Amino acid sequence: MATIDTHNPADHAQGDGHQPDLSLPPHERYHAAHHFRDSNHEFDAVKMGVWLFLSTEVLLFSGMFVAYAIFRMMYPEAFIHGSSLLNWKIGLTNTVVLLLSSYTVAAAVRAAQTGNQKWLQRHIVLTFILGTMFLLIKVIFEYYPKWQEGKLPGQFYSYPYWVSPAEPLWWGVYWGATGIHATHVIGGMGLFLWLLIRARKGHFGPKHYNAVEGVGLYWHIVDIVWIFLFPMLYLIH
Amino acid sequence: MAHAPAHPGDHHDHAGAGHHEHDHGHDHGHVIVSLFTLRTILALLMLFTFLTVGLAQAEQLVASTFHVEIPQWINVVVALFIAAVKTTLVVMFFMQLKYDNPMNSAIFIFTLLTVCSFLGFTALDLGQRQSIDRYKGQQVIVGGSGGLNKGVLIGTNNTSIAEAARLSAQNQNKYKPYHDDHGVRRPITEAGFLSPRPILGSSPNISRPVVGPTLPELGAPPAGTEHGHSDKPAAGQ
Repeated sequence: MATIDTHNPADHAQGDGHQPDLSLPPHERYHAAHHFRDSNHEFDAVKMGVWLFLSTEVLLFSGMFVAYAIFRMMYPEAFIHGSSLLNWKIGLTNTVVLLLSSYTVAAAVRAAQTGNQKWLQRHIVLTFILGTMFLLIKVIFEYYPKWQEGKLPGQFYSYPYWVSPAEPLWWGVYWGATGIHATHVIGGMGLFLWLLIRARKGHFGPKHYNAVEGVGLYWHIVDIVWIFLFPMLYLIH
Repeated sequence: MAHAPAHPGDHHDHAGAGHHEHDHGHDHGHVIVSLFTLRTILALLMLFTFLTVGLAQAEQLVASTFHVEIPQWINVVVALFIAAVKTTLVVMFFMQLKYDNPMNSAIFIFTLLTVCSFLGFTALDLGQRQSIDRYKGQQVIVGGSGGLNKGVLIGTNNTSIAEAARLSAQNQNKYKPYHDDHGVRRPITEAGFLSPRPILGSSPNISRPVVGPTLPELGAPPAGTEHGHSDKPAAGQ
């Protein structure tokens, strides 16, 4: 039984008085906000807005990358030895997990575009599961052992087998960069939960999938940042 | 049924789904990337990931087998180049920037140029510092300008954080001089019959200039004996 979903802009009464046709699913009766010419115009505007936001995200991570570059140039031995204490196989696993999640989110966008509701939901769930795997691998196999061994940033450092006294700085760069990235992964997973709830309500279809596209773009930027972080942290020799 | 007013973009859905024989279908001008394209890009991304790991391992193998020092910048350039290729693939196909409004490409490229400016000018500055004051040279070593060796832990008597970590482990009898490798299997090239590379000072294969105040280990005369001074009182006193 179709009901009015008050959170769906499609279901507000239109200015010219006609009511939404409740026999259609929410994504079929979606009407773009009135300051846009049409749905396409709204979609283009949403996309550009998301790209502008992604620019700010790239600039945020560039702060960490510049810090990494400066300290790597100043203390190469600390970085080489610190990197040798990381397990590149775990980093590789995490990279593969994130690349797969990038595929599933692109496939989710495609499923929305083709109106395939079943696979849209499945791909969103798959992306969420892969994101969870990334976080679990990171915490269980990397963060927790390092915390136990004292490989912590700056003042909290207590690992005795250092080669260069600048190693607390290396660990600061490591924890800072991966920590900010992990925070973005957690945020992304919250967004996918939101997407799943809306997808199950039928908000997304070929005529309207703005949110799926936007969250997908965000998730790809998170993946790209990890693509750079992996060789920069794990593959220094 | 009340028909929606004729908005230019809101025409009914074409049969845009299922065009598997084309590279992409079209729906309202939105490009639908085929699953074949998505999977091919995923395979390429995996390939480049394993390539970057393989090249890093090969670099390590060559360096330890032939006792050559491979310059750091090769490691950086190769890793960053492959990461850039992977990023291009993700951005063009998964994020569909190839099929998108050129304004979004302009936004993204402009952001990348900004990040390159951050990194470029920083590296340019850091790389040239030794031309003004030699001790401010790029590579900071133990016994350098001294700021590194001031601790922040209370009661550490001005030892560095790393030094305090080692001392505390030794005091608790937890410091093993011949540090075990935590069960990590090392490649045959790191077996004991191959001598380890020195970190400080030159080796037969590579000259490693040391910048900073001359350390006692490198042959500086003990304090107070320069210029023929001695501690003995002058004759006749």
